[in-house]
Amino acid sequence: MSLATIPPRAAFEPRAVEQELLARCRNLTERALAAGAHEAETYGSRSQSIQVRFEKGDLKLTHVDDGSTLGLRVFRDQRLGFSSTNQADELSLSSTARAALDLASFARPDEHNRLPTARAVPVFEALCDPATLRISVEEAVEHGRAFVEHVRGLDRRLSIDNAGFGATCVAHALSASTGAALAETDAQIAFHVFGMAIDGDDVAGFHYDGDALRVRAELEPALLRAARDFAEVALGNLGAATAESYKGPVLFAPDAFVDVFVAPLVSAASAIAVQRKRSPLAGKLGETIAASMLDLNDEPRDRTLAGAGAFDREGQPTARTPILERGVLRTFLHNGYSAAVEGRASTGHAIGGARSVPGLGAHAVCVGAGAGGDRDAMLARLGRGLFVQRFSGTVDPASGDFSGVAKSARWIEGGRVVRSLKETLISGNAFALLPRIALLSTVRERLGGAALAPFAIVEDVAVTAG
Amino acid sequence: MTEFDPTQLLQEALDRKAGGFVELRYHKKRSRALAVEKGRVETAQVTEHTGVGVRVLVDGTWGFASTDRVERASIETAVDQARAAARSSARARTERTEELPRTALARGRFESAGVRELADKPLAETLELVLKMEEEARGASAAIQSASAAYSEVFEEKGIVTSDGARAWTRLVRPEFRVSAVARKDGEIQRGSESVGATGGWDCLFRAHGPEALAERAAARAVDLLSAGYPEGGRTKVLLSPSLVGLLTHEAVGHTVEADFVRSGSIAAGKLGHRVASERVTLCDSGRSEFHDGAGGSLSVDDEGVPTGNTVIIQDGVLVSYLHDRESAARFGVAPTGNARAWEYDDAPLIRMRNTYIAPGDAELEELIASMEDGYLLDGAANGQADANGEFMFGTREAYRIVKGKKGPLLRGVNISGQAFDVLRSVDRVGREFRWDLGSGHCGKGQPAKVDAGGPWLSCAVVLGGRRA
Repeated sequence: MSLATIPPRAAFEPRAVEQELLARCRNLTERALAAGAHEAETYGSRSQSIQVRFEKGDLKLTHVDDGSTLGLRVFRDQRLGFSSTNQADELSLSSTARAALDLASFARPDEHNRLPTARAVPVFEALCDPATLRISVEEAVEHGRAFVEHVRGLDRRLSIDNAGFGATCVAHALSASTGAALAETDAQIAFHVFGMAIDGDDVAGFHYDGDALRVRAELEPALLRAARDFAEVALGNLGAATAESYKGPVLFAPDAFVDVFVAPLVSAASAIAVQRKRSPLAGKLGETIAASMLDLNDEPRDRTLAGAGAFDREGQPTARTPILERGVLRTFLHNGYSAAVEGRASTGHAIGGARSVPGLGAHAVCVGAGAGGDRDAMLARLGRGLFVQRFSGTVDPASGDFSGVAKSARWIEGGRVVRSLKETLISGNAFALLPRIALLSTVRERLGGAALAPFAIVEDVAVTAG
Repeated sequence: MTEFDPTQLLQEALDRKAGGFVELRYHKKRSRALAVEKGRVETAQVTEHTGVGVRVLVDGTWGFASTDRVERASIETAVDQARAAARSSARARTERTEELPRTALARGRFESAGVRELADKPLAETLELVLKMEEEARGASAAIQSASAAYSEVFEEKGIVTSDGARAWTRLVRPEFRVSAVARKDGEIQRGSESVGATGGWDCLFRAHGPEALAERAAARAVDLLSAGYPEGGRTKVLLSPSLVGLLTHEAVGHTVEADFVRSGSIAAGKLGHRVASERVTLCDSGRSEFHDGAGGSLSVDDEGVPTGNTVIIQDGVLVSYLHDRESAARFGVAPTGNARAWEYDDAPLIRMRNTYIAPGDAELEELIASMEDGYLLDGAANGQADANGEFMFGTREAYRIVKGKKGPLLRGVNISGQAFDVLRSVDRVGREFRWDLGSGHCGKGQPAKVDAGGPWLSCAVVLGGRRA
């Protein structure tokens, strides 16, 4: 059969898909109520994707997919039950409703187990660029091929372990017994390259780069930027030597800064962590907990970030949420449950997909810019010491203790990179070091489209050379 | 679990869509999960994710499509879509795979232990256990602020049919249990956690420690860490526990010998037949659960329909094999090792580890401690990562200084690092006691994979990331 007679995938029409998905969510919610649930909420997603994967610089496989999942949460006598299925037949839907209610029949009751009150959600239509929706298999293959060839052409020493290019359209819908009935569609392009430089017997450490974006017109510059940055860091990893052990200032690239300092901070800002007494931020609202130049916001309405969306996993409207302002703790993040415990409204921070009960977390983390200039200016300010571009290690979200390897690390002398480093470990306590942030850069980087953060110089970090 | 043979439906679809290489994989994944924190049931859920993944080889190029409709017409459409995807991308592939070489492929039914037992076990009964263990951990000390406990089980049923003869129907179950406690004193917070995972039934899951012991250990660790100091950093001799040996074998060595990484130029490339480790080291990756039942990454047949066995990677210090799928095996001119694995029906198989381990030696732990002049005993595996150049890091949860054969008080765990083969060359003693100890872990490589790893206590040298530099 010829290619022309087999459309590789049906067109994804956002409005039609949303309406069909919302109808399926409504159907499952009504089944659960009819079967005895006192409250019910169905969250559904349907995605259509093209993924092109490359290995060792060559195309490995092209993957097309179209699937959907419904997740049903019920409360009966304040007892929780949850069930999900990706099957659409009547028997599966009945069995999904029954499974959720069975679980609710023996789970312990909790007075705060209730769905959040339905609230108006402002329209947020900017997530779906028609040009992104229309990407074909052939175009995805061509974009991926051109990206990989461009990377390989930058330097013969670059070896691509794997790379990928994908286009995904996802519709989300929610129907709840509270009256909430919502749907939206998001279309994203994502790409990455993962590999290293090899020069004779010198096999350098891995590096990766990539991005996720919604506007197709922004794709070409994003591909070129990722290729250039990947090549620069991967090649810079060659010739690695050991560092010096010391305790003092370390320059963190945005990726490492977020992993070591911002991620545990966001985790500790969870209202549930506070309520369960496993957050060191408990009782510190309004207190200064970090250096005064640090601003941290959740920006779910910033359409340039992958986590943007109009409503959260419980159908609550999302909004810009300041977590830290000038180092002062301003807000804890709430979902419906933590809000009910405190008798307040959710901040719209229920997260997760259709295959699990709603969790709690940030959508799109943004760290404010500082006054330190660009990367070179930050290197100059560090003067001498360690520059960490990626962190491979452990950060305990409760204690804040971190320990791990500084990856793609560089030794800085006279404000300039003098060599690549290997076997260099860093450790400390993220919460204790937040006030020791000495400088943030003016420039910020998009971290795979998921977050936005600057470079940071942090004092008193323990550096151990191998 | 399904009571009909899914391979029948796949075979019918395949017969109607014959032509070139076609691989059909039915995969039904049913998970049940319970989680409790501070007395509240956080999660009580059942999830199902079922469908058929189709992989084809057209014009020397792979195409993959999937459908969540387990019916012949949808599977046939997915075959067409996979073929169209392969044709659309063929011109971008330079090194084509014209044909997979013939190999022995699995036929028949393969069922792991524990499937019936856990399917029949009332979840309400398990929830009571989870609630009780969380309560015990929370009540273990006045310093404990919060505790959580969780149980999950994943039932997996697969049917794999290929155009060159595989026809296998497999079923298994992977249960996991974890408990965690958070202690606080003078404003400082520390966490202790314990977890176990297995492929098999209840006895496999709690073979080494019962749930009560796990709750007690998690709480005790959280409290003890409040008053623990930090190790000094630097290169040092260490005794690694079986869980950390498991991380070492998986992170530091296992990834570098996956044939796709080897082709990209990993540190193991070109080293077959070379000495890469101390002669005391024999390192394997097995689809079976060696030494005792229940290893978490066990599987009888991989996702290309290749029967799994035990692959010796390093024999007495010499690198003797990489880990392969069918395509890489063809390129290296060897037999496939049964390492092609896909997380769900809508994932294409990748080269992944299964149960990776270092074979036991003959030294008792007491002897290993007594013979150490100056170093650390490290235990409790956290996360880990490896690099193409063999540099690895992994987290430890607790450490003890050893001076002149005497074990000191508990210190806080830190991350350790080193170069994989350098560390293996530094191995000077290998313990006798063997344990699978990473059964609750998952490996991430584009998609997750359930793996296990373990070994005996091992004496070697690594770099320790201490707080005092």
